[in-house]
Amino acid sequence: MNEIQYIGEHLWVGQIGHFAIVLAFVASILSAIAYVVNAKRTDYANNWRSIGRAGYIIHGVSIFTIISILFYSMYNKYYEYAYVYQHVSDDLPLKYTLSAFWEGQEGSFLLWMFWHIVLGWFIIYRGTKWESPVMAIFAMSEIFLSSMILGVHIEIGDWMTKIGSNPLLLLRETMQEAPIFNNADYLTLISGSGLNPLLQNYWMTIHPPVTFLGFASTIVPFAFAIAGLWTRQYKKWLAAALPWALFSAGILGTGILMGSVWAYEALSFGGYWSWDPVENAVLVPWIMLIAGLHTHLIARATGYSIKATIFFYGTAFPLIVYSTFLTRSGILGDTSAHAFTEMGLEKQLVAFFVFFFAVGLGALAYHSKNIPSKEKEESIYSREFWMFIGSLVLLFSAVLIGVPTSLPVYNTIVSYFDESFVGKVIQDVVPFYNKFQIWIAVFIAILSGVAILLRYNEKNFEKRSTFLLKHLGGSIALSVIFTGLLTLWFSLYSWQFYLLALTSFFVMFSNLDYIISVIKGKIKLASSAIAHFGFGMMIIGILGSGLNKETISTNPFLFKDMFENEEDLRNYVQLIKGKPLFAQGYWMTYESDTLIGRNRYYDVEFRKVDENQNELERFKLRPSSVYSNDFKTQNVFNPDTKHYWTKDIFSCIVGLAPTRQDADVAKQFEDTLVWEQHMVTIGDTLRTENFNWYVVNEISYSPEHKEYKPKENDFGVEAKITAGNYKFGSKFEMKTALGLQGALLYKYPAGEEDMGARVRLSDSFIEEIFSSEDQLDYEEIELTSLGNFIFQDTEVTLTGFNKEPANRNYEPEEGDIAVGAQMTLVNNGKVYPAEPIYIIRGASPMGVKAYVPELGIHIRFTNIDPSTQKFKFQIAKDKRQKNLTVPLEITENVPRTDYLILQAQIFPGINLLWFGCMLMMLGLFMAMVLRIKENKKRGN
Amino acid sequence: MKKFQIVALVAIIAAIAILFSASKDVSEYATFEMAADGKRVKITGEMAKNKAMEYRPDIDPNIFKFFLKDSEGKEKQVVLAKAKPMDIERAESIVLTGSLKNDVFYADEILTKCPSKYKDEELSLKEI
Repeated sequence: MNEIQYIGEHLWVGQIGHFAIVLAFVASILSAIAYVVNAKRTDYANNWRSIGRAGYIIHGVSIFTIISILFYSMYNKYYEYAYVYQHVSDDLPLKYTLSAFWEGQEGSFLLWMFWHIVLGWFIIYRGTKWESPVMAIFAMSEIFLSSMILGVHIEIGDWMTKIGSNPLLLLRETMQEAPIFNNADYLTLISGSGLNPLLQNYWMTIHPPVTFLGFASTIVPFAFAIAGLWTRQYKKWLAAALPWALFSAGILGTGILMGSVWAYEALSFGGYWSWDPVENAVLVPWIMLIAGLHTHLIARATGYSIKATIFFYGTAFPLIVYSTFLTRSGILGDTSAHAFTEMGLEKQLVAFFVFFFAVGLGALAYHSKNIPSKEKEESIYSREFWMFIGSLVLLFSAVLIGVPTSLPVYNTIVSYFDESFVGKVIQDVVPFYNKFQIWIAVFIAILSGVAILLRYNEKNFEKRSTFLLKHLGGSIALSVIFTGLLTLWFSLYSWQFYLLALTSFFVMFSNLDYIISVIKGKIKLASSAIAHFGFGMMIIGILGSGLNKETISTNPFLFKDMFENEEDLRNYVQLIKGKPLFAQGYWMTYESDTLIGRNRYYDVEFRKVDENQNELERFKLRPSSVYSNDFKTQNVFNPDTKHYWTKDIFSCIVGLAPTRQDADVAKQFEDTLVWEQHMVTIGDTLRTENFNWYVVNEISYSPEHKEYKPKENDFGVEAKITAGNYKFGSKFEMKTALGLQGALLYKYPAGEEDMGARVRLSDSFIEEIFSSEDQLDYEEIELTSLGNFIFQDTEVTLTGFNKEPANRNYEPEEGDIAVGAQMTLVNNGKVYPAEPIYIIRGASPMGVKAYVPELGIHIRFTNIDPSTQKFKFQIAKDKRQKNLTVPLEITENVPRTDYLILQAQIFPGINLLWFGCMLMMLGLFMAMVLRIKENKKRGN
Repeated sequence: MKKFQIVALVAIIAAIAILFSASKDVSEYATFEMAADGKRVKITGEMAKNKAMEYRPDIDPNIFKFFLKDSEGKEKQVVLAKAKPMDIERAESIVLTGSLKNDVFYADEILTKCPSKYKDEELSLKEI
């Protein structure tokens, strides 16, 4: 077979890309080797370092090149590349090109590498003595990451494996058998499949970069911890690593928080945290980082718990890799709502996290004996003791989240050995995790409330004890009062939640007290107190928004005794357009909908009333649906939320009429409708078995139906109908039309959702009122001057001539001689104008007839005899019945389509949750700034 | 033994104890046969496409009825206390949480797995 010469491909992109991928991979290996060799040298600034640097810089430039050309191809829509084809489309707005870039696995690996490179270059730029061992770890991780986009097949005998997935493969290379590629010009036939409508959202632009910076940043404390062991400077690394660890915890935390806000604000999840494996997998390493930070501070202040710090940092980064393994390998399968599907990188991901777990824990074990630890025990009255306990509680929390989340991994391993094994699964996920984490939160709150007032290396507790008792006592008293006040706002239901609220207030007051009475308002030193205060606030926010979530869109009269927890399950109401519905103190009305871009916004009015129906408040929410790229379906919904200081009112559409949601369903449905024909005399009432009635009031020849657009040479007729229902006493006006364009007949049906009825005119109606030319019997009329004649019951008057006749059926041409005969027709006292046209075009005479649809009269202007001054006309009338009967086609019992299914909920106190989380992040970043300054001062 | 080692030991024991006690919240993916005793279970299967599904928001928007074929091929009616999930017709597999009563499975949780969009793409390319 001949090679096909494909047209329009941009092969240079792939050629540069393949080269850059290989170069990136090789350069990372080179860099890793050089840095490893140099890691333990004391004369660290040498040639090995230069090679390591060069390797890492080349690696970085290569990755940036890949990112640039891939982005360029996506921006310019080079669909010959599979990744471009899969993630963008002609109709995708350019502002989502970035989102599309990291929608796929390859793109997100590139994003991850991007941050590793930026962070690595920064460390190279700083050029401290830590550079070589730290960068050795960076380069090693880049070997693994760049192998993910390598796209190499290795075959040894029958054994074949694929390493990585190249983002710059041609579409025709990935799907060789598709017949489309027999066409050299295939590019003109495809237009890309585009970004999932769910992800066409600005969150998809900002959340992944932050999250991946969070992912990437966890390698820095990991690398410093390993560097400390490697160089046997077991303590010195602590100072250098601290700002990095704070940065990492802050960024990763921000990423998680943003994911949570995204889920709540823009996705239809109806919540901010659902203990989904994808969420848990990232939360676990963050908790490990936080635990590590606390032991890190202990180690800095007292020299205790260096090993623990290495343990926490040494596992946090591998856990991040493990989390990507969970979300990208497809192993989560049935347990997660939003994991990637597998793409053959599982083994590489396993190798990746196993390697770094081995490095982290192996190095710790190897050096364990040499790491200095204090002989003397911590005093039970010291801060470090309770901080350490706190870190253990965090570890405990991480285990209790991480182990159950890994259940699918256990299932996969066991079923590998035992094929009959049926997978284990957590029955009810949310209560399962909440049950344990409540206690974690209680312990953390108590510990961080107490420990903040204790001092490191406490030697003189006797003196401190009165201060402590007084202040802790004060905080506890305030907590009791505030917990009491809180119950005025929302319910706490059980003693566990009372305890949780109490301890949350305690940690807030105790840390506030610390800021006021210990550091005397020096905000620079307040970072930890701010973070802990935020923690307490977050828990109160969760108690409000989680425990006290209220559903507005509920109907207490529905499904009785089918489910045990029925009340919690009635979450949705049907809102019919224009019909207010009352639930939970709110009148809700679906008023209208508007299409803006690819979103359809549904205006829902909420009117809050008191018991006497007096209006308290009125506002509008606009939840929306997003159309698929081909505009055929609207299956994705975005919520809309009204924010108050004390609560949010959240609304989201969960469904529309099937025929509105899917154009194919609508078409199928149209085909199933059964239309029944009725002959109706104008003015008579037609009754149907569904208690509906119809009266055709009049027939009009200039249709007003909103979809009817008058065109040249067409003929339109419309029936104006009044209809209604006896049972409901309803009455509606409808207009249904027929349009004849050439030989094509178009129908314009009318319908009324409330009657469940649709009406249209039968095709035969056209024949009944409009006779074609060959059916007409023309009568010859000859006039010698202006004047009139009688045709049947109509008086026709020729009133004048028009040298420039304008008739929408006449298109003047160069050289035409055209004369219009201006006529008026009078029938029953009504006057109708008509202007038939006589044309000489070239040598042959022709004409354009005039038609008066109301009278059914056709007039042709057939001749002008210049010698005799005679004007010849032909006139004919449609063969209409005297009393016109209208063939009306009616279908009834049509389900309505003008509704939406709405979920509306109140989240009390949700702002406390967001503010609390933000304070936690703020505390981390403040501490980072403080530690950077401190390091600068000490010249580290 | 140091104090914190004692604490750590207690924590480890507690963690193991909790994880053990948590194992009662963990169960196997059930089949309709295993659900016969009315216990709350998680069941996987696929939609029985030959049987009718019913969603009548005008009567109750919180109820969606359909038939599920479990992993052993048994089909039973499901009453789900939710609005009809998007794209359920296309779902490759469905996981339901609920219990069986009088031969009807009452579910209040559903998770659907849809085929990845790339499969659709391949199909559409092959059709061109």
